[in-house]
Amino acid sequence: MALDKDDSLLSNETKNAVVIGAGPAGLTAAYELAKNGIRSTVLEADQLVGGISRTVNYKGYRFDIGGHRFFSKVPLINEVWDDILDEKMLIRPRLSRIHYRDHFFDYPLQAGNALSGLGLMEAVMIGLSYARTKVFPSRQERNFEEWVANRFGYRLYNIFFKTYTEKVWGIPCTEISADWAAQRIKNLSLVEAVRNALLGGGGKTKDGKIITTLIDEFKYPRLGPGMMWECCETRLEGQGSRTLRGRRVERVRHTHGKVECVYARTDDGELEEFSGDQFFSTMPLRELIGALDPAPPDDVIKAANSLAYRDYLTVVLMVKRDKVFPDNWIYIHSPEVKMGRIQNYKNWSPEMVPDASRTSLGLEYFLWDVDDEWTWSNDRLIDLGLKETVALKLIEADEVEDGTVVRMKKAYPIYDQFYQGHLDVIRRYLDTITNLQTIGRNGQHRYNNQDHSMLTGIYAARNVVGANYDIWSVNVEKEYHEETVRDEKATGDRMIPRRLEPSDDAESLAPDAVIRAAFAKLDPVAMGSAVGLVFAVSLFLATVALIIKGGEVVGPHLSLLGHYLIGYKVTWSGAFLGLIESGISGFLLGYTGASLRNWTMSTYSNLLKRRADIDQSKDLLDKV
Amino acid sequence: MSTRSADQEVSRAIARMKAGVLAIIFAMLGGGGLFVMTAWLIIKGGPQVGKTLNLLGHFFIGYSVSWPGAFVGLLYGAVTGGIVGWCIGMVYNRIVGIPSASA
Repeated sequence: MALDKDDSLLSNETKNAVVIGAGPAGLTAAYELAKNGIRSTVLEADQLVGGISRTVNYKGYRFDIGGHRFFSKVPLINEVWDDILDEKMLIRPRLSRIHYRDHFFDYPLQAGNALSGLGLMEAVMIGLSYARTKVFPSRQERNFEEWVANRFGYRLYNIFFKTYTEKVWGIPCTEISADWAAQRIKNLSLVEAVRNALLGGGGKTKDGKIITTLIDEFKYPRLGPGMMWECCETRLEGQGSRTLRGRRVERVRHTHGKVECVYARTDDGELEEFSGDQFFSTMPLRELIGALDPAPPDDVIKAANSLAYRDYLTVVLMVKRDKVFPDNWIYIHSPEVKMGRIQNYKNWSPEMVPDASRTSLGLEYFLWDVDDEWTWSNDRLIDLGLKETVALKLIEADEVEDGTVVRMKKAYPIYDQFYQGHLDVIRRYLDTITNLQTIGRNGQHRYNNQDHSMLTGIYAARNVVGANYDIWSVNVEKEYHEETVRDEKATGDRMIPRRLEPSDDAESLAPDAVIRAAFAKLDPVAMGSAVGLVFAVSLFLATVALIIKGGEVVGPHLSLLGHYLIGYKVTWSGAFLGLIESGISGFLLGYTGASLRNWTMSTYSNLLKRRADIDQSKDLLDKV
Repeated sequence: MSTRSADQEVSRAIARMKAGVLAIIFAMLGGGGLFVMTAWLIIKGGPQVGKTLNLLGHFFIGYSVSWPGAFVGLLYGAVTGGIVGWCIGMVYNRIVGIPSASA
């Protein structure tokens, strides 16, 4: 992003920022701005902060909208979390299973558990289906179905991936781009695969501890994720920034490539004006483009209106039982029910319920805002949730003593086959407004997790004070983050990403360099030539030595080589013949040896890659 | 760097030999090998101990199938193996270093 000269001349203290949206991206941007001495006004449409990472409180029961594990591979984000929250987060064990046909299946899938639950016959069919896709894979992985089936077989895909994915996204898996799966599940390079095989996949912290993967355990604020953002709001207040709830931004006035002010409607219906030097928007792009005044060109409006979103609602049931199931959440694959997932908030943090003898369950439904259920009354939705939970044999109907519904519009940006083109049109236009940056999941129409949304906020804030981050690269280029980690040691500045360059940092690069060297190919021609030359010269010298030494019978034993080297004798002519023939033999030996070594290494590396790919796909449902 | 380009980088890379390391390995194999072969024949015994292996004495002056000869052979084998290994490594690296050869 290019800052205006006028802006760069202002001191930080005199700059004034307006942030639209008090979700993780917006609040983190304001937090980063405050650290750089810039005050901001954060405008939040709802009465709660945290966006989709909020915690809703109903009669002392706290609900997390979708379940937010606090885990990031970006060190800076972990530091920000620790910095914001005024107490340590809980370390929670993770347990989540799949519910299918009245059975619970371990997740990530375990072969023994899955096969015992499905039965021998089904296990055989799964094995055959898997073998078939290995022998006859889909040559082109055009959609999600082909992508998953190529890795797990069609039968396993149909049982464990199809129903849930279609519940979440509301479109057939055959219409979901394979790129999306590939983006969510990064294939490891050979070097990464070998490094993981040798050193373990979790990586290490600075003090050498192995990082536990998201599969095993996670951090979680004692009172849910909203606690983090309420703390952040309080800290911002202390730093002179303000967060105003109940302000829905309706108009963004701009002129000469700069936003001048935004107008927000309060819950009382009043229109308030907020001016500033810098603007950050986490609004859904569709709404932001619609709010721009003057309106953008028609093609930009058309592109924005073409962006689609998936909505989400949670039916929360309060159950008169202290323990219902041990999982944090359960994936509901059974096609007979509409719910996609059940959260057990008490297992995220014991303090999510006001009474230890009670349990609150969050039944998650993924919908379009045009679906009938979206407009149903709370009572009707609670009734649906109750019936489905009873049908799943998780509770008895008379155990439920209360219920409520939490709706979240535009929870998931949809990646259809045209969204990228629309996004390009919108970005090109927004780039012309120099003091406006769009951040966060909806601000970029990107299926970011909380940490990546926060990172866009931090980068955007730093751009205001002279940095030049491409915030659209977050969560697109994996190495963007890896470079960041690497730079910590090199420069002491945590967040200055640079292109990968050869480095003398032996500690961080040595293993990769060793792996690359180990898997580099031998040149068979060069190896053949080298061995051939050494063989030829050696035999020539040995022959000549015996000839010079002389005797009654010269070199009778070395002459036996004539059985293999046609015409060879311990004579001067034999020496030259042996030179040629042993040279050829040596060449063939060296060439074959090098080729065999290359083939072995190639087979081994493919094996490691395949294992790594399977490991990467283990938590596929988490990424859906 | 993308996964694909990272893999391409590895697949295109041509290994270089450490001639010194190769020399040491060949020296250990040559010296150790000759020592073990000699010792085995001595321990095995018989009317004519190591009749054939004794012929190496034509090239390795002082070598014979005997305990002192085993140690002499250890040295000769190590030196010869080392030279052979170093030569293979050097020649290989020289050839790989020629651009057209490694292309």
